[in-house]
Amino acid sequence: MLIEITESYIDSLAPNSSAIKNGQGLVKKRSFVRFNRSQDATLLFGECSGSGSSNYQCSADFIHPENPVLRCSCPSRQLPCKHALGLLYAYVGGAEFIEAEVPEDILLKREKVEKREEKKSKQAAEGVEAKPKKVNKSALKKKVQAQLDGLELLEKLVLSLIRGGLATIDKKVLKTIDEHVKQMGNYYLTGAQMELRQLSLLLKQASEREEFYTYAVEQLTLIHALVKKGRTHLTAKLADPELALDHESTIEEWLGHAWQLDQLKACGLMKEQVELVQLAYFSYDDQARQELVDLGYWLERSSGEIHRTIQYRPYKASKHMKEEDSYFDVVQVPALYTYPGDMNRRVRWENMTPRSIDPQVIASMSKHGHSSYAEAIKLVKNQLKNPLSDRNPVMLVHVAEVVQNEQGQYAIVDQAGQQLALEDIAPTNQGTVSLLPYIPADQLSDATMLVMFEHRIAEGKLYVQPLTIIKGADMIRLLY
Amino acid sequence: MSTALLQELHQELRRLYIAGSDLAAGDFRLKRMLPQFQQLGERAPVFKRLAESITALVEPADSLQHRSAECLQDVTLLLESVLRTQGVTTVSGELGQLDSRPTNLTTFLPYRKLADVERALMTTGSGRYEIIVHAFEEGMFQDLRLMSLAINALQDPYTDIVNYTMKHVLPGYGEQIVPHLVRSFDATGGKLEARKLKVIGEVGSEDMLGLIYEAAESGSDDVRIAGIEALGKHQQYESSLVEWSKDKKKSIREAAYFALAEMGTDTAAARLHEAFSGKDMELAAEAAAKCDSMQLTMKLVKDLGAELHRALELKNDKKKMEVLWTKVQHYLTGLEGKRSTELYALYTYTVEHYALFISFGWMDLIDYAANYLSQESTEEALRLLQQLEQNNVRYIPHAFRAAFQQLSPAELFDYYVESLRNKWKMVMNKDTNKRKQQLFRVVEELVIEREYKQCPTLWGAQQEQSTLLAIEMPPLEQMAVQWDSRWLAWFMEQGATELVCAFASPGHKGCQQFMLQQLTEHTGFSTSTAGLLLAGLERAEAEEHVRYEALMTLLENKRNKMGYVFEWNVWEQLCQLPATYHARLAAIAPNYRYTAGNQLEYVLRVMQADGTAVHAGQSV
Repeated sequence: MLIEITESYIDSLAPNSSAIKNGQGLVKKRSFVRFNRSQDATLLFGECSGSGSSNYQCSADFIHPENPVLRCSCPSRQLPCKHALGLLYAYVGGAEFIEAEVPEDILLKREKVEKREEKKSKQAAEGVEAKPKKVNKSALKKKVQAQLDGLELLEKLVLSLIRGGLATIDKKVLKTIDEHVKQMGNYYLTGAQMELRQLSLLLKQASEREEFYTYAVEQLTLIHALVKKGRTHLTAKLADPELALDHESTIEEWLGHAWQLDQLKACGLMKEQVELVQLAYFSYDDQARQELVDLGYWLERSSGEIHRTIQYRPYKASKHMKEEDSYFDVVQVPALYTYPGDMNRRVRWENMTPRSIDPQVIASMSKHGHSSYAEAIKLVKNQLKNPLSDRNPVMLVHVAEVVQNEQGQYAIVDQAGQQLALEDIAPTNQGTVSLLPYIPADQLSDATMLVMFEHRIAEGKLYVQPLTIIKGADMIRLLY
Repeated sequence: MSTALLQELHQELRRLYIAGSDLAAGDFRLKRMLPQFQQLGERAPVFKRLAESITALVEPADSLQHRSAECLQDVTLLLESVLRTQGVTTVSGELGQLDSRPTNLTTFLPYRKLADVERALMTTGSGRYEIIVHAFEEGMFQDLRLMSLAINALQDPYTDIVNYTMKHVLPGYGEQIVPHLVRSFDATGGKLEARKLKVIGEVGSEDMLGLIYEAAESGSDDVRIAGIEALGKHQQYESSLVEWSKDKKKSIREAAYFALAEMGTDTAAARLHEAFSGKDMELAAEAAAKCDSMQLTMKLVKDLGAELHRALELKNDKKKMEVLWTKVQHYLTGLEGKRSTELYALYTYTVEHYALFISFGWMDLIDYAANYLSQESTEEALRLLQQLEQNNVRYIPHAFRAAFQQLSPAELFDYYVESLRNKWKMVMNKDTNKRKQQLFRVVEELVIEREYKQCPTLWGAQQEQSTLLAIEMPPLEQMAVQWDSRWLAWFMEQGATELVCAFASPGHKGCQQFMLQQLTEHTGFSTSTAGLLLAGLERAEAEEHVRYEALMTLLENKRNKMGYVFEWNVWEQLCQLPATYHARLAAIAPNYRYTAGNQLEYVLRVMQADGTAVHAGQSV
């Protein structure tokens, strides 16, 4: 048996682009002292010199070819590290790997993995359900009470700001706000904490640019809605002897709850055997969250629903986390976990198998586009009127043609002649509308388009930004 | 629903947020709006709720207990929800077809690769140029999303990026980039527009000529220059170019002259020649040097001849001579690189009147003549050069090159060494020394080539390329055919170390000895001379261990000057050093720092790896 891998496959294993660069650099620099492979060709291993006094032992275990395990003795927190990646690049680059005995420690590790698998399958066979975690109810009650207190504090602060007027906010007041941001953490209100930090960021900018007051006002009403809804929810929760999570609305997330997969499963939010195709991807820096956010929009092939994958990479840990990337294959997911929400629910999965995409798959996605904009707009507006809903829903719509007016503003038109004005919007942070003229006209008529909505209160307009165009078997990703 | 009224309310509420909700009670603007809401409220419940909330805000029941901020928040929250259902999705004005400028580009790059290049094109900071060059070489610019950014890169603050984009990236799109450049092109703009026009001129079809002409005629100065340059290839614009060459602005005239030179037609040549008699002589001369027109060359030669003869008449008038000399220099510039029988005759005349022109102080003229003649492989030219060489050692290289072309190896040696045997022995004679140095110099130029070569930075951190100075010499067989074997002995006699290395012949024990002696006696070799010595030993086919020893001697010598970097030849030898030298190499490694230190470290690492690899191989 031979290990069959390509360079782009190794790229996809890498946590970020600099790991790719550094891994390849090690090969070019000839830092590897030794290349070995096991007799059955399931394991590649070697030694690489680094800054440490002894060489690093790195290996790539292909005993389960669909899920290779890369190990290394270096202290890097990046996984896989550049040494293990370099080993694979050297292998693809045609370096000679000498046959040798599998090292002892790898054998031990393999054994451990096997045992774990065995235990799992045994448990599954016996039908033993994992014991539900015991919830310490009195502690939970205390936590909910603390959250209520936190909301009280938040409201007090916000109301005092409004009474005094935003124009009077100076450095001293901003400092008080920032102190409150910190305190929100003590009250287990991470969701509210981010919104308050967002307010603080907006106010800091408002002193220089007047239009930021509009955003600040929107942010204030959002916090108001959050406090009101949160208080009702928490009070109801306290009254409930089970203190159960609300799995129907997004309020838990707004307050800062991080859903766990088994919780979602318990709430019946898991689907089995789902196929997904990524339609758009982008990554942005969310200063209010203090995290980098990798956002992917996926089409569920059977239902036509558009889901979101969200990966948060906290600033402090961003170096050690894998940066997601655009994905071009079909993803087969045995278990898809869905978060509570409206359109574009957040989804997660633990395992998946890729399958290369064929033209029919792309062509088949067009049928999921909304053909009536009137209906689509209704759905969107219905979501937008809820202040705590996602403000930027994403939809697949059918495009009869793309038109423009004399000022060079574009719009898409449906069969009934209804328009949707196109505009680059803030959340994506990247223009795509200006790319439309570059695309051949026949690709833009009778096509399907993935669009993101944004309502601008000051203008009274609802805009969409085109993210991806599907025409026949072609997919043009305007964003990423 | 009256959206305008709702928007107006939103504006008023926003004002209260900024001013402070404490001022809300009794706000007369809101009060004025209230009846309208109340009226509408009779039909729509939403307006009724809004009216109630506004009332609570502006007409508090109990002014002491008034919770103005809360009321303001309530009404705004409600209003925003209503407004969000009122968003207009249409575009105003008359709608027409999309103004399409289609391309055949696709969107194939994943985020991580694309975002890197986008960042490089959209931000400022270091390291961007390398990313852009790499992206272009990898074909990434064929992604649709990079095209408009590439056009924007024409106004990057970093000129290297601008030039690279203009020369490689944009032309790389071919003709499909043209409509996009034309769309934003503004002939009255500055440098950016000129750059666009340059690319249009390069990859655009004939259809673009109208636009280019228009820009050249009436654009801003920068644009006009770029336009005129682009028209040099198109003969139909000959008359316009002639006209522009008479423009008021010098920079326009200059561009026009160069374009005419590129065109090279009879009319163009005539115009350039005409310009030689006016104030633009300097511009015309530089342009003429680039013109292939035979007609122009003949005219210039004739003029130059006339001027040289005039010098005889004017030789006593210092001022006029100065003016004349400037003119002559311009003619010489214009004739650079040209060849014709008339010019040959003229230069022959110049050399024959060497003494006269030197007395005018016109050494440059003689230099031009010598350069011209050294490229002419006739016996007569050689004779003239030898005559020059007798007059001034400065011309030894010219004469030697010509002789090298025409004489047999033995004749060449006889002429330069054998016939002057006695003269060469006068070590102290100044003239002899000068002659010798010139001779060494020209031989060196013929046999030793120093050039910078790219090699992978094996010792560095990244997969970058480094440039190292490499010494190249003709292969031994070629040396044997081209040069007399007696040169080697003579160079050894004269102690010309570098030339001995180049002339070293296989198995010649004497020269091996000589080189090894140089190694030990002379200290402080630079890395380039050290490389030459090592290469020489290799040419002399010295045994491997002798060469390794020589390298070690060089490295161990504390007074050598190779502290910073090992250049190509030394580096090559270092890489071949067997692992047995590990200990000795490790001992001296601390003496070397910077690049040289890293290079040594790499070699040591490879030695160690080779050792273990052999070891591992045995155990299997």
